[in-house]
Amino acid sequence: MSRRAMDAAGRGAGPYIRRFTGFQRTLHVMVIVSFLGLVATGLPLRFAAAPWARGVMDLFGGPVAAGLIHRMCAIITFGYFFAHVIQITYRMLRVEGPKKLLWGPDSMVPQPRDIRDLIQMFKWFFGKAPHPEFERFSYMEKFDYWAVFWGVAIIGTSGLFLWFPTFFAHFMPGWVFNIATIVHGDEALLATSFIFTIHFFNVHLRPEKFPIDTVIFTGRATTEYMQEEHGLEYERLRRDGRVEERVVPSASRAAYLWSVTVGFIAVGIGTMLIVLVLWALLA
Amino acid sequence: MRSVVGWIWLLGAFAPGLVGVRTVSAQATRPASTQVVECTKCHADHDLLAANATGPRRDSALYVTGAVLDSSVHRSLQCTDCHRGFEAGFPHQVSQVVVPCSTCHEKEGRDWAASIHARNAEMVGDAPTCVGCHGSHGIRAATDPRSPIYPLNVAGLCSRCHADPRIIGRYFTGPGDQEARIAATAFPKSVHGIALTRDGLVVSATCSDCHRAHLILPPDSARSSVNRANIPRTCGKCHAGVVKVFEASAHGPDYPPQPGIAEGHPRPVCIDCHSAHEIVRADRPAWQRSTVRKCGSCHEHLYETYFETYHGQVTQLGSNLAAKCSDCHTAHDMRSPTDPRSTVFAANLVHTCSQCHEGANTNFVKYYAHGDPTQRTRYPRLYWPWLLMTGLLVSVMAFFVIHSVLWLIRNGIEHRRGGHGSDGPGGGVPGGGAPAAESPTSGGSAS
Repeated sequence: MSRRAMDAAGRGAGPYIRRFTGFQRTLHVMVIVSFLGLVATGLPLRFAAAPWARGVMDLFGGPVAAGLIHRMCAIITFGYFFAHVIQITYRMLRVEGPKKLLWGPDSMVPQPRDIRDLIQMFKWFFGKAPHPEFERFSYMEKFDYWAVFWGVAIIGTSGLFLWFPTFFAHFMPGWVFNIATIVHGDEALLATSFIFTIHFFNVHLRPEKFPIDTVIFTGRATTEYMQEEHGLEYERLRRDGRVEERVVPSASRAAYLWSVTVGFIAVGIGTMLIVLVLWALLA
Repeated sequence: MRSVVGWIWLLGAFAPGLVGVRTVSAQATRPASTQVVECTKCHADHDLLAANATGPRRDSALYVTGAVLDSSVHRSLQCTDCHRGFEAGFPHQVSQVVVPCSTCHEKEGRDWAASIHARNAEMVGDAPTCVGCHGSHGIRAATDPRSPIYPLNVAGLCSRCHADPRIIGRYFTGPGDQEARIAATAFPKSVHGIALTRDGLVVSATCSDCHRAHLILPPDSARSSVNRANIPRTCGKCHAGVVKVFEASAHGPDYPPQPGIAEGHPRPVCIDCHSAHEIVRADRPAWQRSTVRKCGSCHEHLYETYFETYHGQVTQLGSNLAAKCSDCHTAHDMRSPTDPRSTVFAANLVHTCSQCHEGANTNFVKYYAHGDPTQRTRYPRLYWPWLLMTGLLVSVMAFFVIHSVLWLIRNGIEHRRGGHGSDGPGGGVPGGGAPAAESPTSGGSAS
């Protein structure tokens, strides 16, 4: 019972349905670890004048050590980014074909339905329409995905410029590093602000999900969860008679505890970091 | 007391050379003169003095032993060389006249007479005369480690008054007297003080090296060695090389004024960056970082834009990893970027940046070390990316914050209406849409 009370992915009735593969879950843990590391070591630099900046920097051993951690996390980031791109390419070429991944209900690509869902969502906010039902990925999840995709590309590129300035100066004038600093810092601030407020709210903190949703860690959620969060996808599976092939046993107690722990730690650290951002912005 | 001292110094000023300064080195082992032997018969006899003296402290003031006299640089003098008018025999003819020291020490006397000490000695009576610092019968040479004016002892000597809260309270209460208030406590911890007290380095500057020994004047006096205008010359007595470079730099008196330099800032002198009494080693990392603020107190815009760069951010975080003002502009030879001899002159930048950025080329040095993205006309290359990124940040966050807040409000409305939680879609969902957290029994029955 306590499990159900705590975890949004364990809500209500029905057998567990598989939602994420082990590969996807692993990548998300890499995203969490590297992103928290990048933000924690980057924020003190971005807000060097903030009253907490020096303390946070010293926590990591000063700018030299923090810079090292930042670059190690950057390497993890490049790692998951290219692992994902390679896997998606492989799936497009060898497994599912490009069509299923680039368009349709299972695709991450934004489609007209997402616009309609967004409009219906706003109508629902004002009581003018029922809550929209989502496919495999809601428009919010698609935004999350592409924000990370775009973010890694742009922050990663600008970060490389700043990491190896004398090398890149062979190809570009020095003021590009000024721009890289602006882009790197502002895009990182956007990512930080978005992930630690909007993403946390959408995924963990809104009343339906509070306090945590472990689906990204265990890769599975109850039928009821799937019906409520991804109703159209579940309906499609049921119609096609494919629910059975997605049914999995519930996560082991150890896996569940591990997932909740990692989830809470990540949400906790993220919340602390966004408090630091707000503190710096308001001070 | 006042009138006597004044009289003595008038005499010192107008009647020099009554007695020549004798060379004493050849007479170091001279046996005591007959006169000294005669005088010390009584004056070295404590009991005799105590029995016959009148008035307070007469006893100790009159007590002079031959040993004290023999230890003095004046050991070749007779008692009556200074104590003129004292006749032999007992009781003495009482005369207050002591031959002024300036009789022999003409220049010192003249300097002292013009000093703030002389003024206060005459006006108030609590500033030192000759004997206040040098003593009287046991005066030793400045090279004698036992002398109060031996370099290692000078700070202690001056502190006898300048660390005294009564003296500070009387003379140094003004807003401009901060340095005078802290001098006695701060100086021993300064690089000069540590060199003296810890290392016994007699050539290190002590009070009298900067303030002079006799012609001590307050800093607002134009003749003072510590007047702003005279500071470089004073420091340059020892730091000659640095001052020579500094005087030729943009901070020097003859460098043409630069456009865009904030009005109302006087050109800095040594103490503006190094302080007067709290000088520390220039290679101390914390001090190097602190100089940035000092540069910024005049170069306000450069200061602000510096902290927008990685260099400034790292410095602000208390690390010496990144460049500070003096790393690019030098510490003493700073010059306008239009000056071909400047380290930040365009043709010299590759060399300057290469000090840290090994392999920096002509492209690399096109970096704006003080770029300000909010200045559209001056930095259009930075302005537009900055505007774009800021716009993106603000619009994305604004949209989704509204999205989340509306969602939360709708959740509350739905919840109040029917306890159906907040999600609406599950029209056909068994068990309704209530989250497990709110109805744990439904979860329990399903498992």
